[in-house]
Amino acid sequence: MSKQPLSRIELLQGTLDFIILQTLRWGPGHGYGIAQMIRANSNETLQVDTGSLYPALHRLERKKWIEADWDVSENRQRVRVYRLTAAGRKQLAVERSRWEQLTQAIAGVMRSPALEGET
Amino acid sequence: MNLPWGRRSEHSEHSEHSEHSENRDNRDAALDDEIRAHLAMAIADRMARGESPADAAAAARREFGNVGHVKEVTREMWGGRWLERLLQDLRYAVRSLLRAPSFAIVAVLTLALGIGANTAMFTVVNGVLIRALPFHDAGSLFVISHEPARSTFISQPGMDDADYDGYRRLTRVFSQTTTFSGGPVTLTGVGEPVRVPAANVTTTFLSVLGVTPALGRPFTADDGDAGHDAVLIGDRLWRTRFGADRSVIGRPVMLEGKRRMITGVMPPSFDFPNGSQLWIPFVLTLDPNQSRLAPVVGRLAPGATQAQALAELKAIVSRHDSLTKSRFDANELISEVIPIRTMIVGDVRHSLYIFAGAVAFVLLIACANVANLLLMRAATRQHEMAIRVALGADRWRLIRQLLTESTLVAVVAGMLGVAFAMVGVRVLLSLAPAGVLPRTDQIHLDGAVLGFTAALSLLTGIAFGLVPALRVTRKELRASLGEGSRTVSGQRGILRSALVVSEVALALVLLVGAGLVVRSFVRLRSVDLGFNPAHVVSMTVDLPNAKYTSAKSMRDLHALAVARMAALPGVAAAAAVNWLPLGHAMIMGDFHLSDGRTLPRGVAWATKPAVTADYFRVMGIRVFDGRTFTDRDDATAPRVVIFSASLAKRLWPGKSAVGERISMQEHPTAGDWFTIVGVVDDVVEQGIRQDRDAAVYQPLAQVGSSFFLSHVSYTVRTDGDPGTVGAAMRNVIQTLDKDQPVEALGSLESFIASTIAEPLFQARLLTLFSMFALLLASIGIYGVLAYSVTERTHEIGVRIALGARPLDVGRMIAWRTIALILPGLAIGVVVSLGLTRVLATLLFQVKPTDLATFAGVGALLTAVALIAALLPARRASRVDPLVALRHE
Repeated sequence: MSKQPLSRIELLQGTLDFIILQTLRWGPGHGYGIAQMIRANSNETLQVDTGSLYPALHRLERKKWIEADWDVSENRQRVRVYRLTAAGRKQLAVERSRWEQLTQAIAGVMRSPALEGET
Repeated sequence: MNLPWGRRSEHSEHSEHSEHSENRDNRDAALDDEIRAHLAMAIADRMARGESPADAAAAARREFGNVGHVKEVTREMWGGRWLERLLQDLRYAVRSLLRAPSFAIVAVLTLALGIGANTAMFTVVNGVLIRALPFHDAGSLFVISHEPARSTFISQPGMDDADYDGYRRLTRVFSQTTTFSGGPVTLTGVGEPVRVPAANVTTTFLSVLGVTPALGRPFTADDGDAGHDAVLIGDRLWRTRFGADRSVIGRPVMLEGKRRMITGVMPPSFDFPNGSQLWIPFVLTLDPNQSRLAPVVGRLAPGATQAQALAELKAIVSRHDSLTKSRFDANELISEVIPIRTMIVGDVRHSLYIFAGAVAFVLLIACANVANLLLMRAATRQHEMAIRVALGADRWRLIRQLLTESTLVAVVAGMLGVAFAMVGVRVLLSLAPAGVLPRTDQIHLDGAVLGFTAALSLLTGIAFGLVPALRVTRKELRASLGEGSRTVSGQRGILRSALVVSEVALALVLLVGAGLVVRSFVRLRSVDLGFNPAHVVSMTVDLPNAKYTSAKSMRDLHALAVARMAALPGVAAAAAVNWLPLGHAMIMGDFHLSDGRTLPRGVAWATKPAVTADYFRVMGIRVFDGRTFTDRDDATAPRVVIFSASLAKRLWPGKSAVGERISMQEHPTAGDWFTIVGVVDDVVEQGIRQDRDAAVYQPLAQVGSSFFLSHVSYTVRTDGDPGTVGAAMRNVIQTLDKDQPVEALGSLESFIASTIAEPLFQARLLTLFSMFALLLASIGIYGVLAYSVTERTHEIGVRIALGARPLDVGRMIAWRTIALILPGLAIGVVVSLGLTRVLATLLFQVKPTDLATFAGVGALLTAVALIAALLPARRASRVDPLVALRHE
């Protein structure tokens, strides 16, 4: 529905959840802020579609990995602020080790001489 | 960059209650706030970067995307949402169906008919084929058979008793085995004498089947020994004859004139084998001069399989000569291990599967009809759908909504269908002549049936709703917003036509099936039996040898009974015969010619009924030559026989057989010769599907062995009511011997009808189903034609304005009808040619590819289709061009 930049990398659902949890590790934030943060931290590579972001936030909230509160922003806007829970931190650790295993495995495959020979 | 990590207040007033306790409206409002804040911050950021307020707002909105969509997918995450959505869809479905009541009613009724028929059929299948047998772990019970190929005489699996005696000691695959034989016995001493179905069983019978008496004790190992007199009675007998008296244990009863003691009452559903109500224990004793074939049932040892059992049976019979010393040639014996259910259910399984297939066709046609209705409805709804898609509705959401609607229709139809089925089952059972369906006591609605109907309804709802739902929400249709009110009907028209084509094809298959079975039944009915069963009442007695100790005492009773029956009011003639044609048994044998000729091959065997003088008159058997028997052909007169025509013609071609002499003895002496005094027509003895049999008749008064005199049927020819005459006949026997029960009392016609009861059932049921199919298909044809006339009003108006006459318009509709059904007929014929093969075993003198049936059914369908086209054609021919053109 929304216009999507060509450079945008499609995020797998699980990956987006992981990235949100990781982002919230630095402190609580609202939906807009989380999106901006992801964009900035990925050097503008990852652009999170609102149609993915808000469902993900509400899904994580339902799983009790994050919790939400109302706050008032600088420009007196009522905003919904999300923050990691203890369960969320634990989940993040799990996701992180899984992610590291995966990246190591993929890196190993990429470095494999047999495969290099073919390309 | 403005990173909006907010100052967090320790407590905002809104966070007092948890999110989960918020009701849906509050959550919706909160989501609105959240999104509004997102947009506001995005706009603020853009303005901070120097964009004008208007540009910033537009860009932020563009970047955010479809707000409605984001809300929708976010709400999906809230949980509990599916129920709310379902309720919402249901409300929507109910509203939209109430807005189109005629559609709703037609759809529900059509489907209810289809689902009801299927539910009724499943109720029967469930009762007969699926519900548990009254045995413990029936899956481990198998019938073990080692006998010649099935024939008229060997109608059920069995094993020679000598073979069984060896086998039961050797088998390891079966942990325990039993054998039994059955037949009615005379029960006296409890009210009126009565013939009760009974079984002689080995003492292992109950433990093999895993059944225990509901009352009293099971058999013990010595119950079959001489001096022991145990008997178990069935629940039905216990209730009808003993008033369900619990003190019945230990009570004596007289069976075939012998005293026995009731030791137990079996549970209600137990009546194995063959509806038995008495179980008499016996011990297998081998008689070197006689042998008998009886069914053998075994319970598999734990872990053993049917395949192992068969392998073991084959190994045992091939290894052990003793086992093949029976009267049969070892090479013609067939070894089989059959699940016990197969033996109980028998051939009905095949018929039931065919019926189940037939009703499934009816439901498919019903589905096609309703799908067509939905497609027509879709045309009027595509505008609504296009608007909703444009407003950001998810396509799957719309499809789900439409499927909810079609499933609602199907579920309502399912509930109505259960009501239909409750009536339907009764109709099915009343269409089934007595004895055709086994286990009828097990046929009733239960959880399995309701589960079946529920699943069928849901499946049906999706089956007929999916294609229309996919079609109406297609992406291309979003473009239709811009179009005028004219709907594009081309492609949907093809789909609708395809549905009607398949309906016609399905209906044709069913009609062909029904047509073949009906034709076959008519052939069966018109078989020339060689006798005329109309106006004949018959009744059978089995005289106990214990009471009638001599052949003379039996002959005297028969003579007296026949004389008294002949004198009954309304009776034209009375006779007795020892084995009635088409009965359960008969006597066959060979004979010798006086000129020393040996009998030509194939003539050696003839049936040998013994009859009284008026038998041929009562039965209406034509006399071709000589005379029939008279009362003077008694025990003291010269011995005479009557030959049937085929036998006489074969042995004495071109000349009269009257006066020739034959003997039944291997080495006849002077007194063993019979003189042929007459020649009569051949009669169907063994079965209507079989050829007529050669027969050698003897006068009953000249029969010397009581074996041929104990089982006798009395027959009378009467113009009176069979019930009244039958009662009078029974009375004759009762006054002659008050302890003698009678059996099989009734008109000979009804008796013969019972032998073709199964084909009759098949013919009735398939006709009923095919009429459903025809009705539904014609409604489908009507619907599509009527709709296409409405759709083409404009075109028809133009034609009429250009000078087309009503007849031309009518012809146009007729051609459209033909074009619609011709492909259906063609496909149906091809499918039928493939499918009617399953009917081959049911058919009598009719080929599954019978041309007349195919042609007749095709003509019938075409005629019905043209009739269905009449109304739309009339309407088309009356189109007023002015109105039609202004309609634009």
